[in-house]
Amino acid sequence: MKRTILVIDDDIDLVEIIRLTLENEGYGVIDAQNGARGLELARERKPDLILLDVMMGEIDEGFQVAYELRKGDNTRDIPIIMLTAVADQTGYAFDPEKDSDFLPVDEYLEKPVSPRRLVDLVRKHLPPTI
Amino acid sequence: MERRAAGAVEPIAPESAHFVSAASLRVRSDWFNRMRWIAAVGVVLVSLLAVEFGGVDLPLLPIMSTAAVLLAMNASYTLRNRRVPATDIRAELVVVKLQMVLDLLLLTVLLSFSGGIENPFHFVYIIHVLLAGLLFKGGEIRRMALLAGLLFTAEVLGEAAGLVPHHHLASGPEMSQDWRFVSSGLAAFWIVLVCCAYLSASIMRHNRVIKDDLVVRQRQLMAADKAKIDFFRYVSHEVKTPVITAQSAVEAVLAVAGADMAAKPRDLLLRTVERLRQATEIVQGLSDLTRGPLHQGQDVRDVNLNRLVASLLDGQQSLIETRGLRVEARLPAEDVLLRASETMVEKVLGNLISNAVRYNRDGGRLIVAMQDLGDAVRVAVTDEGIGIRPEDLGRIFDEFYRTPEAKAASSLGTGLGLPIVKRFLEQMGGEIAVESEPGRGSTFTATLRRT
Repeated sequence: MKRTILVIDDDIDLVEIIRLTLENEGYGVIDAQNGARGLELARERKPDLILLDVMMGEIDEGFQVAYELRKGDNTRDIPIIMLTAVADQTGYAFDPEKDSDFLPVDEYLEKPVSPRRLVDLVRKHLPPTI
Repeated sequence: MERRAAGAVEPIAPESAHFVSAASLRVRSDWFNRMRWIAAVGVVLVSLLAVEFGGVDLPLLPIMSTAAVLLAMNASYTLRNRRVPATDIRAELVVVKLQMVLDLLLLTVLLSFSGGIENPFHFVYIIHVLLAGLLFKGGEIRRMALLAGLLFTAEVLGEAAGLVPHHHLASGPEMSQDWRFVSSGLAAFWIVLVCCAYLSASIMRHNRVIKDDLVVRQRQLMAADKAKIDFFRYVSHEVKTPVITAQSAVEAVLAVAGADMAAKPRDLLLRTVERLRQATEIVQGLSDLTRGPLHQGQDVRDVNLNRLVASLLDGQQSLIETRGLRVEARLPAEDVLLRASETMVEKVLGNLISNAVRYNRDGGRLIVAMQDLGDAVRVAVTDEGIGIRPEDLGRIFDEFYRTPEAKAASSLGTGLGLPIVKRFLEQMGGEIAVESEPGRGSTFTATLRRT
């Protein structure tokens, strides 16, 4: 069975880029264009991994979604990779090692998305097939 | 402390551009108070000396009483300045004017007990006119001069007419009722008085015009700089997403289908990625540059500068090896800690070090020297590369400016690295200095202050 990855990002082009890359590696990709829809899909479809954009409608919508996911019984254990270009927008410099205590995500991936790094990160948490 | 804090924002305080501000008036008022202590003590000492050693017959009791009144008044002025914050310029002006009028009255009283026109200290009136010139505008200076002149004239004429008792100072002839001496003395006094009033008013007017001009220019410069930064921020914000998405897309296409493509289209896509990387770097640079000081508090921590420099050099290691550079890190033995925004310090030192790598000559030395000065840390980054011509030194901190030598040396580089260094250091209260010899190398010295 294919592993399913949920991409939550409001940039439809970026979603397609990620889909192209990950489907080429044998993953299944579903997507949501906003946080609310993303949470719904996460609960219904129980994806194996979530790629989450940090900044959708609101500046920290991604973080809010991550907190919600961590609160839900069905979604708590799904690994989350946060997509971020936030460092240069708000002055926040995230470092998952230093900030993991209060930031409920497993990895960060800086935009522009490098396909190799995306695949490496996803593989680290999720081998392509069972 | 409070006064100094208020004074610090003075240059662009609104409404005060055409005149002194409440805070700067207070600074002067404090100075007057110190002078007044000296004047009162001087009156006491000079009178005692004159009586004791000069054989002058002065009425000590009224003189000492007047000095005591002056001391008491000055004590109340000093207390007021400590208690009441200087906020209202009009209130401050009224107080200072009142104090000056009282000073003139007391001076007249003192002179009436000490010989009137015979006492050479009557020229102290002139000092008050000069002080008025420092504080007030034309009409007020003239009125203060007129008051000084009239008080003295009344006192002198009162003594001449026998209405005010005269205390003869010297053993020589009695002059205070000789009309030739009195009239020529008063004439000389008025001439000096009027000239001083006129001169001090015109000098101060000139001064204020220059100051106003400076304030206006400073505001214009700040407004222009803000407009520029706003524009950069807008552009980088708008361009960022398309550029980032385009780069991601081309990289994804190359990763998925690159191997199956014909050489030429694949080569074109590779070049496109390279161009987009440059664009992303510019957008990233603009974002950094326009990052407001608002955000700099967010990742403030004790930054270990020794470790930071080591890791920045480490990050350049492959380039350093390729170019055969000899690295010397002259760091203090004990770790230097600096409380600052880690991102900003990292950007500042990172840009300086990567420039020193990029613009060095093959096999050149790269020296990073750090000094802990106590209230500041100084980091000097030296290379032995292309150097900067003197005429370019003023421009290398301008956004997007790259010297011809830099362009020839490397097609990479956005022309934003040094502007970011300068702006970040300014926002952190530090500064950047550069020394360079064309063809021999450069030293950039960043001073990071401990606040």
